[in-house]
Amino acid sequence: MAVGEERAKNRRGIRGWLDPYHYNAERWAYLFQRVTGVAILLYVLGHLGDTSFFVGGPTGTGPSPSAWKFIGSIFENSFGHLILILVVLVVFFHGINGIRLILAEFGLILRKPSAIEYPYKPKGLGQGQKILIYVAIAVAVVAAVWAFLVLFEGMG
Amino acid sequence: MLVQYATAVAAVALVSLHLIMQGVIYPYATAISFNNILSVYRNGFYAVFLEALLVVVLVHGFNGVRIILKEFRQSKPWTMWVDAGTVLAIIVTVAYGTRTVILAVFGGTA
Repeated sequence: MAVGEERAKNRRGIRGWLDPYHYNAERWAYLFQRVTGVAILLYVLGHLGDTSFFVGGPTGTGPSPSAWKFIGSIFENSFGHLILILVVLVVFFHGINGIRLILAEFGLILRKPSAIEYPYKPKGLGQGQKILIYVAIAVAVVAAVWAFLVLFEGMG
Repeated sequence: MLVQYATAVAAVALVSLHLIMQGVIYPYATAISFNNILSVYRNGFYAVFLEALLVVVLVHGFNGVRIILKEFRQSKPWTMWVDAGTVLAIIVTVAYGTRTVILAVFGGTA
């Protein structure tokens, strides 16, 4: 690969995240860690805004039952609860996959690197990493089901 | 990356407790009721807990965005602007969230 071509490949930005060519489970987990991280931050910023209505919103001066009722009338419905379920799903995935990344950073779930041989699978990636990715997905789904039951039990 | 990892571990603990409070300790409808939230804010331990949650999650989130932006492009001015923007975003959002906590704890009910 020519130097210019290689530099261009390394400067693909978000397009580089979304190119699934030759992805393995760890690479998909990298993509989802980034996407869920940005999504959670956006949710947190929105949550900062809606919780501020507990004290009357941006111009409030103290706890305000009427402002809290107003913001509840906007978000406490099936659509709002669906958003919360998605948030729980991505938060659990992001958290557990993040723990995997920390363990890998400290070399706890990595194998010894060795010479590259056909079929060119990365040998440094231990089985523990894949297991943790699947655990993250499974726990996230269970947590989302739990959130569904918690949020919708009182709506009927 | 140490900041990112330290806040990640803290966030896992604090967010878990927050979710438990919202859906396990109390039924959800009770957890989000005005009187319950007021009693949570006015319990010293939970007020400190919510403030810690606010700081940890926002530092982790904005520092994560900083890491992503630095991956996209590397140059001195870019790094400087991204670092400055991250610090500013953290200060503004933590200040706004802290204002909510302070008013909820000390403000008079409207």
